[in-house]
Amino acid sequence: MAQVAHASDRRRLFALLSPAYLWLTLAVFLPLSAMLFFSVLSDMPGADGGWGLTLGNYAAFLENPTYSTLLWKSLKLGATVTFFCVIIGYPCALVLAKSIRGRSREALFLLVILPFWSNSLVRIFSWAIVLRGNGVLERALNWVLPFDIRLNLMFTTEAVTIGLVHSYLPYVILTSYLALQAIDDDILDAARSMGASKLTILRRLLLPLSLPGLLAGAVLVFVPVVGSFMEPRILGGRMGTYYGTVIEDQFVAVYNWPLGAALSFILLAVVLVILGAASPALRKART
Amino acid sequence: MSQVETTRVTKSFGKTKALDDVSLTFDDGGFFALLGPSGSGKTTLLRTIAGFHFPDSGSIRVGERNVEKVPVEKRDIGMMFQNYALFPNLSVADNIGFGLRVRKVGATEEKRRIAEALELVQLRDLGNRMPAQLSGGQRQRVALARAFVTRPKVLLLDEPLSALDKSLRIDMQVELKRIQREVGITTIFVTHDQEEALTLADRIGILRDGRLVQAGPPREVYDRPATAFAAGFLGDANWIPEALLGGLALPAALPFGPTRYATRPEALTISATRPEGNALPARLVSRVFAGAMATLLLDVAGEPWKLIARDRDIPAVAEGQEVWLGWAAGDTLAVAA
Amino acid sequence: MTLLALAGRVWLGLVLLFLYAPILMMAAMSFNASPFYQLPFEFSTKWYADMAGNDQIIDAALRSVLIAFVVTAIATAVGTAASIALFRYDFPGKRVLQVLLFPPIAIPWLITGTAMLVFFFSIGIGRGTPAVIIGHVALALPYVIVTVTARLSAFDVTLEEAARSMGAGQWTVLRRVTLPFIAPGIVAGGLFAFAVSFDQFVVSYFLSKPGDTTLPVLIYTAIRKGFTPEINAISTIIITVSMAVMFLAARKSNFGGDR
Repeated sequence: MAQVAHASDRRRLFALLSPAYLWLTLAVFLPLSAMLFFSVLSDMPGADGGWGLTLGNYAAFLENPTYSTLLWKSLKLGATVTFFCVIIGYPCALVLAKSIRGRSREALFLLVILPFWSNSLVRIFSWAIVLRGNGVLERALNWVLPFDIRLNLMFTTEAVTIGLVHSYLPYVILTSYLALQAIDDDILDAARSMGASKLTILRRLLLPLSLPGLLAGAVLVFVPVVGSFMEPRILGGRMGTYYGTVIEDQFVAVYNWPLGAALSFILLAVVLVILGAASPALRKART
Repeated sequence: MSQVETTRVTKSFGKTKALDDVSLTFDDGGFFALLGPSGSGKTTLLRTIAGFHFPDSGSIRVGERNVEKVPVEKRDIGMMFQNYALFPNLSVADNIGFGLRVRKVGATEEKRRIAEALELVQLRDLGNRMPAQLSGGQRQRVALARAFVTRPKVLLLDEPLSALDKSLRIDMQVELKRIQREVGITTIFVTHDQEEALTLADRIGILRDGRLVQAGPPREVYDRPATAFAAGFLGDANWIPEALLGGLALPAALPFGPTRYATRPEALTISATRPEGNALPARLVSRVFAGAMATLLLDVAGEPWKLIARDRDIPAVAEGQEVWLGWAAGDTLAVAA
Repeated sequence: MTLLALAGRVWLGLVLLFLYAPILMMAAMSFNASPFYQLPFEFSTKWYADMAGNDQIIDAALRSVLIAFVVTAIATAVGTAASIALFRYDFPGKRVLQVLLFPPIAIPWLITGTAMLVFFFSIGIGRGTPAVIIGHVALALPYVIVTVTARLSAFDVTLEEAARSMGAGQWTVLRRVTLPFIAPGIVAGGLFAFAVSFDQFVVSYFLSKPGDTTLPVLIYTAIRKGFTPEINAISTIIITVSMAVMFLAARKSNFGGDR
């Protein structure tokens, strides 16, 4: 890599880099700063001109227990979804990385992560078809089983959890798989030659060595789930009021942008704390 | 410590026969080298003895026990891998203690034996290091200590020195031999380096295309190779052209099949006139100077020959000049073609 | 095969079933004549015909595709330039610039989207297609940069040096040596950018003008009003397109393959 010494190099560097970073500044960093400013406004600006600076929006979060209750509910949802993604996804990654060989592995891996990159809204919607009362799942079960059952999963917390696990499961599989695949098969052979059982190999080698990848996956599931609003809206119905949906309401229904901004910022702070705490693992997972 | 024996072991991967009817005895406490070109089946044989795969037919005995159906983790072996395969998340001491922990020897015993192993491989103070902090030679020692610390019945080494550079490799050959003598475990190692095999082993076996070509003490195999392949693979062989066989004093032909005759490069003498005994005319192609020793590349009726001798013992001969090569009758090799 | 290996394969099979069953179910229902998902199944393309006759859906679909193409073009060009700079030069603050790529990926889109809305509203861009494009490019940029940089890291710099030793100027080297080598990475990055934009719901939702929306936003609004089988039809088309694009991207970037 070249050190930037000459003025011509510096000009080229600037020409190559500035479009990308100006764009990110305009579309991400300035908006985040603007939202911080908005969150301390007393009223929507422009309307009647009567607005001032206040910490009232943050006070609202503290005074009205609804918000903190909902934030807690969203955090719990994040933890539940992450838990299921990990216990379903990690064994899956393990099978892909260490049990299946050759071309079929690549194909299966692609098959597993493909849904992750496809439209999440549509995937959530597809669950609505399956789960709704008198929906496909219920009909199928009634057709197979001799007795009648009513599932009524739609518009429950379970439905929201299923949909979110479905949305984010491939993330855990992806990061765990990459970490597991990087483990040299010879060291597993070495462990076996020393008499280690499959369980010992998992506990003392595979798990510790792939932990950064697993943690990275867990964080990358937890963070967006805490801020989710579309999934609870579609699958949760009246049960689907979460912290994310409240923020959505402030912007598209109630039009209390300053409050929405404050609530968003509190969420951002929570997210940053989590990302910060996990950053050693995230950094390790990338190398 | 036990004798190891493979009897008529055959193993195929798909259509390729990796091992074909291999019967070998590895002496108790001996140091056996499996030698062969890549694809000869030497690593497959080692991994079959280890138990990473089971033979299609034939039996494997370790001590008194038939193990051909026993998986690797139940075989009580020690194995060292080509790239060492140290556990990157465990310290040197924990790497060495891994097999002891599996065997539940107890904390104090575990500690004592790790210390003992570290002492033996001369890494006494490095128990707390992580593998990434070690040099190549140190890693090799840890891998070795880890393989023998459980006192396995047999120690299997897969190209143990190939990852080291040349000067370190020679030091480690000496070390490996010393450690093997001290622990006294039956040791089988795979190498493609004939010099390494000759230096370390007390017995060697040469494999080719999954079949055992010849086995025996290194000197015996070198002096009396059974086949043309063995003669050419272990050391260099100068083939005597068929047309020139008349007039040479030769050992008796082999009872079965065609026989070929050869000499070793170091058995030859060079002279301007025809010497007494076996001799053939040759033309000097080039002379390769290598310090103390020199190699002459010669042409004997179209067959490329080599002569190796101390540089000062070889007279000055111009390239292209005709010379005579002589050797003692007893130095002629007779091998199966 | 051992029992454990068999159990592992069964587990993997169940996970794949979980991942694909609802999507396939939706696709099947989009061809079912009954609007209430009645079984037995009766094949019909009625809902596709309805969809084709719905101007609102067609408008939104065209707008989504147009936006995705514009976003792909901008993000790929701008992102590739930045990747080359980040790969080629060492300079103070480089680490910071690399870390700055992660907020658009790591911060929930809800926060980014609402922040964009607030900011664009205050500086006069407001809501609408331009705002959507600006937002999508920002989200797509990190994906392009990461993909192209990954490809670049396999690039042997001595190739450039060799070309220069043969008298090629810097731009010639870039055009004839560097760009051809990273072309697969650029194509993969472009496909990622397309997918990010085409599938993007959250940011579009906050930035698009009502009545002038992208396809996912239209679907969301329709779902909240009540299910109609037309949504199945358009959703089936969307998921087929987005999976096809991602399949190509994965192939190009050798994603997850054995290196």
